Amino acid sequence: MMSNKNAFIWEGYQKRRRRVAVITTVLIILIALCAVVMMTFGNTVYSLDTVFRVLKGEEIKGATFTIKTLRLPRLLVGLLSGLAFGVAGNTFQTLLRNDLASPDIIGVTSGSSAAAVFCILILHMSGTAVSVISLLAGLLVAGVIYFLSFGKGFSKGRLILIGIGAQAMLNAVTSFVLLKGSEYDVPTALRWMNGSLNGVKLDRVPGLLVTVVTMTIAIVMLGRYLQILQLGDDSAITLGVKVQVAYIGLIFASVFLIAFATSVSGPIASVAFLSGPIASRLIGKGRVNTLPAGLVGALLVLASDLIGQFALGTRYPVGVITGILGAPYMLFLLVRMNKKGESVS
Amino acid sequence: MNEHLLAAEGIVAGYDKKVIIDGIDLVIPSNKISVIIGANGCGKSTLLKTFARLIKPTSGDIVLDGKQISSYPSKSLAQKLGLLPQSPVVPEGITVFDLICRGRFPYRTMMKGMNKADFEAVEEAMEIMGITELANRSVDELSGGQRQRVWIALALAQQTDILLLDEPTTFLDIAYQVEILDLLTKLNQERGTTIVMVLHDINLSARYADYLFAVAKGELIVQGTPQEIISSELMKEVFSLDCQVIEDPVAGSPLIVPIGKYHQAT
Amino acid sequence: MKIRKKLVLFIAILAAILFCVLLSLAWGSRSIPFAEIIDILTGKGGDSFNVDVVRTRIPRTIFGILAGAALGVSGALMQSITRNPIADPSILGVNTGASLFVVCGIAFFNINLPQQYIWFALVGGSLTSAFVYAVASIGGEGATPLKLALSGAAVSMAFGSLVSTVMLPKSNVMDDFRFWQVGSIGGAGWDDIKIIVPYLLFGFVIAICLVPSLNSLALGDEMATSLGVNTKLTRGLGALAGVLLCGATTALAGPIGFVGLMIPHFMRSLFGPDLKYIMPMSAFGGACLLVISDVMGRLAGSPGELEVGIVTAFLGAPVFIMVARKAKVKSL
Repeated sequence: MMSNKNAFIWEGYQKRRRRVAVITTVLIILIALCAVVMMTFGNTVYSLDTVFRVLKGEEIKGATFTIKTLRLPRLLVGLLSGLAFGVAGNTFQTLLRNDLASPDIIGVTSGSSAAAVFCILILHMSGTAVSVISLLAGLLVAGVIYFLSFGKGFSKGRLILIGIGAQAMLNAVTSFVLLKGSEYDVPTALRWMNGSLNGVKLDRVPGLLVTVVTMTIAIVMLGRYLQILQLGDDSAITLGVKVQVAYIGLIFASVFLIAFATSVSGPIASVAFLSGPIASRLIGKGRVNTLPAGLVGALLVLASDLIGQFALGTRYPVGVITGILGAPYMLFLLVRMNKKGESVS
Repeated sequence: MNEHLLAAEGIVAGYDKKVIIDGIDLVIPSNKISVIIGANGCGKSTLLKTFARLIKPTSGDIVLDGKQISSYPSKSLAQKLGLLPQSPVVPEGITVFDLICRGRFPYRTMMKGMNKADFEAVEEAMEIMGITELANRSVDELSGGQRQRVWIALALAQQTDILLLDEPTTFLDIAYQVEILDLLTKLNQERGTTIVMVLHDINLSARYADYLFAVAKGELIVQGTPQEIISSELMKEVFSLDCQVIEDPVAGSPLIVPIGKYHQAT
Repeated sequence: MKIRKKLVLFIAILAAILFCVLLSLAWGSRSIPFAEIIDILTGKGGDSFNVDVVRTRIPRTIFGILAGAALGVSGALMQSITRNPIADPSILGVNTGASLFVVCGIAFFNINLPQQYIWFALVGGSLTSAFVYAVASIGGEGATPLKLALSGAAVSMAFGSLVSTVMLPKSNVMDDFRFWQVGSIGGAGWDDIKIIVPYLLFGFVIAICLVPSLNSLALGDEMATSLGVNTKLTRGLGALAGVLLCGATTALAGPIGFVGLMIPHFMRSLFGPDLKYIMPMSAFGGACLLVISDVMGRLAGSPGELEVGIVTAFLGAPVFIMVARKAKVKSL
């Protein structure tokens, strides 16, 4: 490809590409491991053989119910939600060029969650309709904070600050709805504040699957634009990107992912915020890591759910574990950012 | 050496209803280095940005080879007209090579990787800017001057016949300023690239420009070669500065020497 | 501004408090006409059931006035010592820190007396706010509003999850904690008022004494020092009073956010930047806001009650957003 004297450039380029491939493979293997553990472990331990026989459709007393009704939906929803939060969070962070501009910090996820809990507890809706309404709510929140952040000149710092305010308000709405729905028991509250995989049903999987697959493909295809948008809007225009279209497409697809995942599993805390930075740390920075970020998200959710279920004596919902993981990283990020004297705007 | 006709036809432009450029007509000389000069806030950056379609003029048109630039498809315009913005964003941790590769965006199609022509263009751009050895280094680690060369290489990889630069030497030490301007001159001489830039320093502008446009209060005051137009009267009009114009002992171009309150002109 | 205009505003605020108190006594799951309340209060009697209802609403209302005043003053203090327009006890993490410590106290040390709650809350609140402020101050430009908000958000996120972790395995803790966690003054009685008053009085006295020094501090540390203010001492005492006021309130009522953010801003727009007016007026304004929020919570939540902390968050977040919008891009 390249002239010989510059072979080292080519080698460096190939090396970086290999690293992406290796890391992606490792992530997939780890996810598969978590999946195996999730399917086999529990109150009763089933052998892998039993699991496969059940999945093939064999009826085994006890095992069929446990595996098909309890463990399989949990695994699939965890996997898909994790992917969705990871991809969407990474897209927000890359677009706004700031790790803190993740949808679970600036209120987009809370908006979807508040809408979902309202539909489910007050309007007694279920299924895809809930997801669609939380999509609209998420888009609305994203739009409103975007327009509000044009105070005296647009700044990302202002957007994040306003997002934090919006988050507080929307959480108040969620609390209100929980109270009104007479469902203020702690598990339900935790589900809609922190996210949980407890009691998810298999019938929610197909809708989530379709969304995650189509929207992730859309974001990967738009990844080329994302790469160019990383250089700043001026550069992007000069290089021939239709900036407005790219922004709208990417944000829309991300909110789509978040809303559908949130309406099924609740806003699993910090996954959207953590996945992108972890992926770029693993793969090397300065790339657009849509897929790896999704995989990291899925791995985070599955591993945290395993920890929550088995490691701590009491069964914790997954969101509590990811919430605890997310906070130190956020502090670390802040300290590092402050030390460097970077301004967030 | 492709010739292009890039011209502004009666453009009016500004931000939020505030008019910054008020009716400018000009033709950029093809295959030459042109520099737009003027005081802060006179609209010279805005003028450059309308050429780069970052700002839409409220009336008038920017015309390239007889067609309005807004009528070109984004990517095909990006193959003709490149810009180095004043403060581009470096994605954290990106390598020099990967960054310059992004300059090939206008030539790439959906889902396809980099092809041979892409790699060659990137390699050549690095060669011209003298940064080949830095290819696998992270852009964050580079000095200001090296970084600016990387950005110009990105614009070169875009392989446009016209290159616009918005104050490419700000934030650089004087040695780097000269280095960057030398590189641009080389580019102009070897490839015939039409270069249009905004510069702060009048003396460097006078030395490196083939053609100058002086802008004040949103209007084009005068245009021509440095020898033709630089005079103490023009400096007074454009910058409100009393100065004396002498000959640059090195390049023979006009050199301005400010007078100030406490010194006397000879 | 003319003194007369200030006097008129002052009287208007007092009247507003009086009105809120009346509403608080009258409205709720059972509404009682105003005339009957006056009768009951002046001892002329009334429906015996209504007398009981009003009697239980009296301590709650008084507690609301005290808590609101404490939160308002605490916000004014925090904003002046940090010179930061969004410094509110809830943003500085006083609330979440207090919550975490109280939950740990309930779960691990079997505390159950209000006195004990207060001490746990005070320690938790002061440690957490110091930590949040320290994280936000790292780096060149000091604790900017954005950095402060983000550090606070990070700490709240962490502590929120920790609170859940401590709480979930112990169902008995969960019950004690459930309503406390969102902030409610519904259960307040005369005993609570007796316990909280000394702490609040102490806090109010310090706050009033600090007013002249804080006014100088507003001109910047260097200017204040050259005016003869001991900036470290002023900050330390201000923080102490702020945490005392907010922590004690949080200990008994649970975390109630945004009162300390909203009220000082509102008072500043009415009375100008002089803390001589802002400080006491924040107390009155806070009282007014908390009592009316409590009433709104009772109406919105009926047949149950919506905790006052939810109402203030809902009212306060837009104010927070407005402040963020008005700030100059650079000072973020």
